[in-house]
Amino acid sequence: MTGSRKAAWIIGAIVAFDLLFLALPTLVVLVASFTPGTIITFPPPGFSLRWYGNLLQARDFADALWRSLQVGLVCTALSLPAGTLAALALARFRLRFATGLQIYLLLPFTIPLVVSGVGLMLVFGRLGWLGAVWPVGVAACVINLPFMIWAVAASVNHLDPDLENAAANCGAPPVHSFFTVTLPAVAPGILTGALIMFILAINEFLVSLMLTDARTVTLPVLVYNAIRSIITPDLAAVSVVYVILAVAAIWLLDRLVGLDIFLKSKQG
Amino acid sequence: MAQATTAAAEPMVRLERVSKRFGATLAVETASFDLEPGSFLTILGPSGCGKTTLLRMIAGFIRPDGGSIVLNGRPVAADPPWRRSIGMVFQKLALFPHMTAAQNVAYPLKMRGFPRQGMAERVERYLSIVRLGGLGGRRPHELSGGQQQRVAIARALVFEPDLLLLDEPLAALDRKLREDMQLEFRRIQRELGVTTINVTHDQREALVMSDRILVMEGGRIQQAANPVDTYARPANRFVAGFLGVTNFLPGRLASLAEGRAVVEVEGTRLEGLCADPSLAPGAAVAAAVRAERVRIAGTGETAPDESDVEGEVVEVVFEGDRFVYELRMPSLGGIPLRLFDLDPLAHPRHAPGERVTVAWRHRDLMVFPA
Ligand SMILES: Nc1ncnc2c1ncn2[C@@H]1O[C@H](COP(=O)(O)OP(=O)(O)O)[C@@H](O)[C@H]1O
Ligand SMILES: [Mg+2]
Repeated sequence: MTGSRKAAWIIGAIVAFDLLFLALPTLVVLVASFTPGTIITFPPPGFSLRWYGNLLQARDFADALWRSLQVGLVCTALSLPAGTLAALALARFRLRFATGLQIYLLLPFTIPLVVSGVGLMLVFGRLGWLGAVWPVGVAACVINLPFMIWAVAASVNHLDPDLENAAANCGAPPVHSFFTVTLPAVAPGILTGALIMFILAINEFLVSLMLTDARTVTLPVLVYNAIRSIITPDLAAVSVVYVILAVAAIWLLDRLVGLDIFLKSKQG
Repeated sequence: MAQATTAAAEPMVRLERVSKRFGATLAVETASFDLEPGSFLTILGPSGCGKTTLLRMIAGFIRPDGGSIVLNGRPVAADPPWRRSIGMVFQKLALFPHMTAAQNVAYPLKMRGFPRQGMAERVERYLSIVRLGGLGGRRPHELSGGQQQRVAIARALVFEPDLLLLDEPLAALDRKLREDMQLEFRRIQRELGVTTINVTHDQREALVMSDRILVMEGGRIQQAANPVDTYARPANRFVAGFLGVTNFLPGRLASLAEGRAVVEVEGTRLEGLCADPSLAPGAAVAAAVRAERVRIAGTGETAPDESDVEGEVVEVVFEGDRFVYELRMPSLGGIPLRLFDLDPLAHPRHAPGERVTVAWRHRDLMVFPA
């Protein structure tokens, strides 16, 4: 009894420590963003919403945020069908070329982002796509698609392989069974993947850096440029905007599918 | 039972020489059988003998290489699974995880175009037939294993199919629940009178549940008979060994006349019954005797219609309702022999090393081609 109590205590302490460390940078930035001064310090010398006011005034930040959201939407819209169908196909044709295909789908992961960025820049340049915002969404989709596939695959792997046979046995022709059984049954994975893709896309930096110019700059790139000139507390305020977006996404995820699909490998 | 009154009735299911090959594996080889309306057939056989393949061909998930399947008087070769009037309970149940129990049961009604009017009542009625009344609002993962089974049965039966297929849905349950569910399946099947094909590798399940048993091995149907005949009169050596605990004594046929055989095992002559008139004297045979048909006899205590052989006790185990003896038979070339003493409280227990005389009746020795 006491032994397990003690163990629980120790584990509790470790978890608390971990949580603190994970959250610390975010908390520091959060607090620092409320500084009334002109440089980022921790702890801040006072409290003011001055930099948030600034942020609202600064058109370039607002425009960049809007472009980042567009990038996120394009990326999510593309990865929804691409990732879902790829994951379903991988599960369906498990026997034949799964390994080869899996390695192929992992390629964007194993290649350094700089290389992907240069490659995409060349291709997009050829296609005359540079100078628009939506190709950045395409790029984000290309480099992050494995996340989408994994999220959906996690859901697919929990399914009974006979699920579609069961639907057919119940009288459902294939198209019906796809829309009324297969898709809804993997919906938790699809939603999870879509939100991950959205968050990754609005945060994407390195490849965006290569694909954007002054007219199409996205928020992470703008922040980077700003850091290179002077570091003012409005950057902390921007970071807080990001934190809010991420928290909103996680809240949405929890409301829609529950977070346990993330934290546990098995569901139901 | 129905066959006596309506001798000319069409069978509900008729398979004629149905075959399926996967690469080098002949999964099902020229399987033929008829199934009376309302009867319960169990396909029994070891893992990999082709049971699932046969069932999936009937359901329409696998296309046979040859042969014909007729359901309720209609060849179904051209029908995809969703147009066959067949309900199926899958091995892992395959309930739709995103639907409630009631929605699972309503699904076949919707897909098969049943009128919306009265659908809810019908779903409720079938949920209560499987004794799940009031639980229709739960998702599959909120139900116990046995309750999930019941949802799967209701889903397979709600549209009143011509045929119900069960692919070992009970195999994953623990023993107590499995035995309860066996009786439960049988009750529902009788209540609704639906023609049923059940698949299992569990001989007890086959004996308990079925009107007829079809024993399969290596893709071939070995025997089709009612449970009692399957057990008492196995068609061949495989069936004899697959059901019950059977001792095989390898030997040569000495003589065969009118079904009465004399077999020579390592110089000892034993009398038995043989249903295969084509066997010639000298042929290699396996004589088989079930463990519960062998008894330990006092010396000189054997009847004229019995064979008696000397043996030595190797091991004896008390199982409550029986002693299980493992013997070694010196006069039969030292082969092992197992016997059950089914009245353990009335008989003394023989210790390992003891020499005993065992006896069985001539008619309990079954002679098969080796
Ligand atoms: N899709 C398949 N591809 C290749 N071989 C298969 C396939 N399905 C079944 N088999 C083979 O056919 C034989 C019968 O399988 P199955 O019908 O599943 O047996 P059972 O259900 O009696 O265990 C086995 O040897 C199995 O390996
Ligand atoms: Mg099987």
